Amino acid sequence: MPLSRRGAVLAAALSLVAAAEVSAGEALDRIKEAGVLTMSTDPEYPPQSSLDPATNEFQGFDIDVGREIARRLGVDIRFVTPGWDVITAGRWAGRWDISVGSMTPTEERAQVLDFPAVYYFTPASLVVHKDNETIATPADAGGKRIGVGVATTYESYLKKDLTIDVADAPPFTYQIDDAEIRTYDTDLLALDDLRLGDGTRLDAAFTALPTILDAIERGYPFKIVGEPLFKEPLSVAIDKGDPELAAEITRIVDEMKADGTLAKLSAQYYGTDLTQ
Amino acid sequence: MSTLADLLDRRDARLALIGLIVFLIAAAFPWTVPGLAGLPPLLARLVGGLLIAGLAVANILVLRRMPFEFQVLLAWAELLLVFALFFWSFGLDYRFILANVPGLLGFGAGQAFLQGAVLTVVICLVSIAFATLLALIGALARLSGNGLAFGVATFYISFFRGTPLLLQVLLIYLGLPQIGLTLEAVPAGIIALSLCYGAYMAEIFRAGIEAVGRGQREAAASLGLTHAQAMRLVILPQAMRLVIPPTGNQFIAMLKDSSLVSVMGVWELMFLARTYGRAEFKYMEMLITAALIYWLLSAVFEVIQARIERHYGKGVRP
Repeated sequence: MPLSRRGAVLAAALSLVAAAEVSAGEALDRIKEAGVLTMSTDPEYPPQSSLDPATNEFQGFDIDVGREIARRLGVDIRFVTPGWDVITAGRWAGRWDISVGSMTPTEERAQVLDFPAVYYFTPASLVVHKDNETIATPADAGGKRIGVGVATTYESYLKKDLTIDVADAPPFTYQIDDAEIRTYDTDLLALDDLRLGDGTRLDAAFTALPTILDAIERGYPFKIVGEPLFKEPLSVAIDKGDPELAAEITRIVDEMKADGTLAKLSAQYYGTDLTQ
Repeated sequence: MSTLADLLDRRDARLALIGLIVFLIAAAFPWTVPGLAGLPPLLARLVGGLLIAGLAVANILVLRRMPFEFQVLLAWAELLLVFALFFWSFGLDYRFILANVPGLLGFGAGQAFLQGAVLTVVICLVSIAFATLLALIGALARLSGNGLAFGVATFYISFFRGTPLLLQVLLIYLGLPQIGLTLEAVPAGIIALSLCYGAYMAEIFRAGIEAVGRGQREAAASLGLTHAQAMRLVILPQAMRLVIPPTGNQFIAMLKDSSLVSVMGVWELMFLARTYGRAEFKYMEMLITAALIYWLLSAVFEVIQARIERHYGKGVRP
């Protein structure tokens, strides 16, 4: 039948395209050949990644880790800035090679991305306005309005469907019941809303402890509730299907852990060693 | 009802109504009346509301006696002042704003060739050119007797008017690589904006062409012009006059919609505003500055539009 033959041709063509995407070593070859590692970063997250308005240069922990990886690969580095959900959607089509973006290796993300190396751990903390009197422990926030960034692990935690896809992920328990989840485009918008006043729009926000500390340092009227709720491993991500690049990244990050480079960068940006 | 309408015909009744509305709005804010800090909150609201309503009514009474141009000028000046006071009350960091205006415009230190407002304008100019072309083709196809052309045109218009622009941007940027075509972010953005606005403008163009009188067509035919000649020499120049104002509208809308292409990492005005604001935790400062820049750009294009309108309106001016 002509129709099914056409279908077969289409399927063959598609499989060729697919085959081209997953051929081993291709991304690594491309990086070495071009002499440039292209890294995606979302510069709305100080102190991990931001853009210095005075110089238009990228700065932050993730940026420096990316620079060090490129240096050890023997290539230059270039940054691109697609939206966070474009990065986590995978299928990068060779537009960029690597994400050093403090990404938690969840199971959903592992379906479209590979996570060759966990490079540090971030404590996730609940934060309230300093005028708040009712939320003294995380459990008190049950049923309250809590702001989180959309498609973040913090949102998953509140929904109680957080699964972290690495072998040595620290165990955690769900301590907040029936939160009224308010999602924002980025975590920082939730902090901006919490800043308006206790209970004005939000009762609490839930995000990375370093982000909260940075906000407090800039004069946001917040206080942190109790101990961190979970420690999330954060990984370098690459597009699916290049085991040679993955092996190379794993080797380099292990090396950076062993020789103290990562610990030093962590101390520089977070004031403490978050790499263990 | 007729009594209410009669009442509203009276000037003083209208004025009293305006005063009442202003009072109700003003009383919704928790005022602190200068010099009377110890006032209980409810009383402060009443006093604040009355003061502001009184100011508004007095203002109208004075303005009534002025000539038209003066009224317009003063209305703008007053609204701008209220705006400025509103932003002033945020306690913004003006040094930070001033330091970053060049960066937002695209002339900051260390910036690449095309960034910020300059990039926004370039993307829009290129997109509006392509969109105009697409719209013309779409409108002519819709008006043609060819079923295939009609079908393709209506499908195109229906899809691109009927789906969100953000979705189209993402489909072109993320979808096309799946069939082997990997576009850079800026071209992908231009294609999405052109396709989307081309679809809207095709309907504008169609309406413009249809609005040119039937007699014009018949006159052209009786002079021996072919259908294509009649379209090019008689119909389209007259349609242009009708099409320009809504097209200018579309362009100004595009100026702002172009911020959607920042999801692909394009460093246009909105992207830089968000990113600069985040770096220093001074988000409001950068958002307000970006708003003013967008507004200024729109104003410039309003002037350009008025010029073009005058050019194509030559034939009908008294």
